[in-house]
Amino acid sequence: MALAGRRIVVTGLGAVSPLGLDVAANVAAAREGCGAIRVQSFDLRPDGPDVCDFPAALVEGDVLGPLETALGRRIGASLDPFALFAVAATREALAQAQLIGHPALETRAALILGHGFAGIHTLEANYARLFARKLPKTHPLTIPKAMVSAPVSAAAMMFGLHGPVFAVSSACASSGHAIAQGAAMVQAGLVEIALVGGSEAIATPGSLRAWDGLQAMSPTACRPFSAGRDGMAIGEGGAVLVLESLDHALARGATILAEYGGAGLTSDAFHWTQPSLEGPSSAMRAALDAADLDPEAPLLISAHGTGTPLNDKNEAAAIRTVLGDAVARTPVIATKSAHGHLIGAAAALQTVIALDALGAGLAPPILGYLAPDPECDLDLVLGEARPVAARALLVNAFAFGGLNACLVFKRWE
Amino acid sequence: MAALREDLIHLIADEALIDPAKLTPKATLADVGLDSVGVISVVFAVEEKYGVEVPEDALRDVTDLDGFLTIIEGLIEARAAA
Repeated sequence: MALAGRRIVVTGLGAVSPLGLDVAANVAAAREGCGAIRVQSFDLRPDGPDVCDFPAALVEGDVLGPLETALGRRIGASLDPFALFAVAATREALAQAQLIGHPALETRAALILGHGFAGIHTLEANYARLFARKLPKTHPLTIPKAMVSAPVSAAAMMFGLHGPVFAVSSACASSGHAIAQGAAMVQAGLVEIALVGGSEAIATPGSLRAWDGLQAMSPTACRPFSAGRDGMAIGEGGAVLVLESLDHALARGATILAEYGGAGLTSDAFHWTQPSLEGPSSAMRAALDAADLDPEAPLLISAHGTGTPLNDKNEAAAIRTVLGDAVARTPVIATKSAHGHLIGAAAALQTVIALDALGAGLAPPILGYLAPDPECDLDLVLGEARPVAARALLVNAFAFGGLNACLVFKRWE
Repeated sequence: MAALREDLIHLIADEALIDPAKLTPKATLADVGLDSVGVISVVFAVEEKYGVEVPEDALRDVTDLDGFLTIIEGLIEARAAA
């Protein structure tokens, strides 16, 4: 079923991740195969038991300083890192779309960001004081910094958004749902512009220990679709897209980066950590149907590709089920191997990187690959960036708890 | 002493999101935009950084920045001397 009515385009992108502090740095690192996942030590002492080592990808460099300079005011102490990443990515996306200070932001724009968690850094510091060190006072901004809607509230205050502003959550698919939700609001005519994406910052010692308890973390690296893959690696950051009705974008002379095709949203209703074949397959199929693509149009897939044994095997089977014979000529990328798993921000960051690949016709390589796994028989982009002729992009996001969000974008010709 | 005051002014600027240039001694807390959440945020940061406890009523009658800084400096120096 094709989208009826208004066409939607992408007019701005923003990203902060372990690969770099803006979109250009992220794209360059992904293309060049410069991954950011490293085994790092996280010290739980003195309040916790020990030091633990995890492979993780962390944002490096000063995100706050340049942002405060650009905004002309201090913001650092009021933001948990997950909000800081969101605000920085939102600013970059608005700047590229030439929308900072634009009157349309006032009432004709929505801001919807997805997060799997909330202000974990803030909560963990608060609880360490309270429970381990037995200090009675809590920081007065603990609640506003930790709440899941803190990033959208912060960005709304900074950029003067007075329309629909809220957060959505679906674990590892959160920003996929945020993108679909924002597009639906533009589609319905509620707004002309939707700032959509997500952010996450969960690399605290206590949080990583909990992830380790899930038995899904690799001790080494993220190796999507490879034989010998042994789990995921946590990342952090934020990514934001500016979606805009085509009419509005054309009327103000905006540069169009891609067209939004559609979304497929499904729930497995099955298991906390095991995926089903039907849920992801039906989400992919629904997204492709919504985009009403020419059946012969070459496609690029940005896979969910977490590097866990089960996800990648199941996702490969789902892709084969949906594409049929076309699977042999459909390149698949999996950029979590470079930037780690950004959980709630993963779908948005993968979309930003993959939209560049779609526009430039150059797909970034999957990193950490050891050897073929017969159960993951796909046309994987390996070794180095590969020229691709794709005219459309499918982005997969599948969450723990069985929540699936697949998105399709079309190359802007 | 002067160095401590300098550090405290930076801490106030960071915690209460205020331009350090506004933080002159004669300025009132209202002038510099230090509201109740800002004051508690600064107190919290002072306690973390200097290991002192600022009693709840210690700042009750303070109106200007100099008075605020003098009380905080007094608590930090008393702890250093103890």
